[in-house]
Amino acid sequence: MALFHLGLSTSGHDPALALVSETGEILFAEATERFVQDKRAWGIVPDHFNHLASALKVAGFDPAGDRLRVATSWSRAKADLPVQLSDELLEAPDVTWVRELQADMHRMAGASLMRLGVVAEMPERRHFDHHLCHAVAACAFAPVEDAACLVIDGEGEVGAVSLFDLRGRSLKRRWRSWGPGSLGALYSALTQLCGFDWRLGEEWKVMGLAAFGTVRPDLRDALAAMVEVDNGRLRLADHATITKMTARLRKAARAPSAPIMEAADLAASGQAAYALLVDRILADCAGNGADSLILSGGCALNSSYNGTIAGRAGFERLHVPPAPADDGNAIGAALLSYMETAGTTRVPLGDGSPYLGTPVDGRGGRFLDAVRRTARVTDLGDDSAGRLAACLAEGKIVGVMRGRAEFGPRALGNRSILADPRPAGMKDRINAAVKGREPYRPFAPVICAEDLPDWFDAPQPAPYMSLTLRWRPERCAEVPAVVHEDGTGRLQSVTAGDMPWMHRLVRRFGEHTGVPVILNTSFNVMGKPIVHSVEDALAVFMTTGLDAVLIEDTLIEKNPSAT
Amino acid sequence: MTALIETELFQFLRAQVVQRSRAPAERVTPDAKLSDLGMQSIDAVLLCGEIEDRFEVEIDPSEIFEHETVGDFAQSVLGRLAA
Repeated sequence: MALFHLGLSTSGHDPALALVSETGEILFAEATERFVQDKRAWGIVPDHFNHLASALKVAGFDPAGDRLRVATSWSRAKADLPVQLSDELLEAPDVTWVRELQADMHRMAGASLMRLGVVAEMPERRHFDHHLCHAVAACAFAPVEDAACLVIDGEGEVGAVSLFDLRGRSLKRRWRSWGPGSLGALYSALTQLCGFDWRLGEEWKVMGLAAFGTVRPDLRDALAAMVEVDNGRLRLADHATITKMTARLRKAARAPSAPIMEAADLAASGQAAYALLVDRILADCAGNGADSLILSGGCALNSSYNGTIAGRAGFERLHVPPAPADDGNAIGAALLSYMETAGTTRVPLGDGSPYLGTPVDGRGGRFLDAVRRTARVTDLGDDSAGRLAACLAEGKIVGVMRGRAEFGPRALGNRSILADPRPAGMKDRINAAVKGREPYRPFAPVICAEDLPDWFDAPQPAPYMSLTLRWRPERCAEVPAVVHEDGTGRLQSVTAGDMPWMHRLVRRFGEHTGVPVILNTSFNVMGKPIVHSVEDALAVFMTTGLDAVLIEDTLIEKNPSAT
Repeated sequence: MTALIETELFQFLRAQVVQRSRAPAERVTPDAKLSDLGMQSIDAVLLCGEIEDRFEVEIDPSEIFEHETVGDFAQSVLGRLAA
C-alpha cells in the first residue's frame, strides 16, 4: 500500500495536476488544457475526473490499496480577502471573475476522487501558500544547494512578489509584497493596450512584437510609473497616477482590428518598463551569498528579459523551471504534501526531465490501417532520429509525437513540429501551411548544448526554452527561420544525456546540412493547446499542410499518389 | 526581552493604526475594538504585511479579522514570534 501525493493547481486558470510518490519523486504532471484541448482551460477543475483517472493509471496508482493525499496551490480562497488586494490595472469584472473561479477550484479540489471511487466522501485537503508552491516547484528543477528564489506573478494570497532563500535545499521566505501592485497585471494591461487579450494568454504576442518597435521613453516611463518598487516589494501607484498614466497610454493603444505593427513601439516600451522594474526588484534580491537565481511565477515566462539576467545583479546562473506559471504549482503542492508527510524541509531535486505528462497512447496503432489509405506509413525502427533528419533536410515539415508529453508551455521535442531553419521562407511556410500564427512571431531553435558557443554570443544552457539569447551576428544568415527581428533566438539546448533522441536528431541533421540547428515549434494550430492524443496529432496532420508526423518511430507522410 | 518586544509591537501597532485609520492615538488602547477605530479591511490586511516585514514573522492575511481588539491581535502576533 503506497501513499501518493496529488497536487492541484487551483487558480481557476491554467489548471494542472501532479502526482508525487511517497519518496518525493515526481511521477506525473500535466496541464488540464492538454486533456480537454481547450486553451488555458479556464474554470475547469484541475482534477477533471477523466484526466485524473488517466494520470493515476500512468503513475501506477492502485485504487484497491494505495492512498492519496490531496494538496492545493493556494492557502485560501482569495475571495475571502478584500478585493482591493487585487489589482486595479485589470478590468473589475475580470478580477471578480478570476476570484470566483479560484474560490470554486479551492472549494472543489479533490471532489473528483469520489467520482472515481477512490474515496467515499470529500477528502481532506492540504492547502499551501501560492508563492511557496511556485518556489518549491522551481527548486525541484534547479540542481543547486543554495540560491535566491524569486517569484513574480499576477497575484498570490497577499501580493505579487516573494523572495525566498534556498539554503541546503531548504526554503525560507525572506520577504513578500503585500497589497496591489503586480507585474503580471501590468503586463496583462499592456497586452490589452496593444490590442491583444491577456485572457487568451496573448502576452507572448507583446513580447514577440517588442522586437519590431522602438522604445518610447514617455510610454516606458508611464508604464513603469504605475508600479513602484520599494525594497523589492511592489506597490501600486496611487489612483491619481494610475488614471493619469492610463490616459497617456491609451493615446498610443491599438484597437484589436488595427494593423499589428501599430502597437510595436508600445510593446517595446512595455517590455522595457518590465525590464526596468524587474531590475529594481533584482537589486534587492542578492545578499544571501548565493550566485544562483531561481526565477518562477508567470513572469518567469518572459524569456526576452530572462536572457539578460545572468552575469548581472550578483547572479551568475539563472534557473527557470519548465512550468513557472500556475500550472507548475501542481508540482509544488504535491511536493509540499510529500515534505510535510516525510517531515523534511529539504526540497527534493528531480532528474530535471520535463517529460512528465501522458505517454503516446499505445492504441494509436489502430488508426494506421485507416491512415494507410491516404498516407505512406513507414516504421523507421531504431534509427528514427537519423531518418527523420534526412526528411527535415529535404525541407519537410514534420509533427513529432514521442514518449511522454512535456510539462509546461513549451514543446521540447516530444510534441513538436520540426523543420529546417535554413530557408528564409520556412517561417512563412509553416505559418501558411500549419500554424496560422501571425507572421511576425518567432520560431525557436533547438541546438546541442556543446555547440552553444559557436552560435550564441553569451551562451547559457536553456533546456526548457526559458530564455532568449543573441545569435552571433555572423551565424544569423545560416538559420534565418529561427532568428527573431532583434537578432535573438529562444533556444532549447539539448544534451546527449538529457534528451538523447533529440540530440542525435540535431547531430544527424548537421551531418546532412552542415547546420546542426533545427526549428522547433509546438505541435498545435493557433488557438489550440498542444496535441494530446494520437487522434489530435493525426487531425492536425490531415487538416493542415504538415508533410508528415512521427508517432513514436512510425513516420506517416502525405502521399500525393494516394486516392 | 518578551516585555520589550511586547512594548515595541504595541507601539508599532498603534502607530500603524493611527496612520491608517486617522484615529487619535489615545483611542488605540489594547482594549480598543479594531472595528471601532475606523480601519478599512484592506488597511487591516496591509497592516499584517507591515508587521511581517518589521518583525520578520509570517502573518496570515486574515489573522487580524480573527481578533476583536488591538490587544488580542497583538497577543496572537506575540504567539507567532515565540513559536
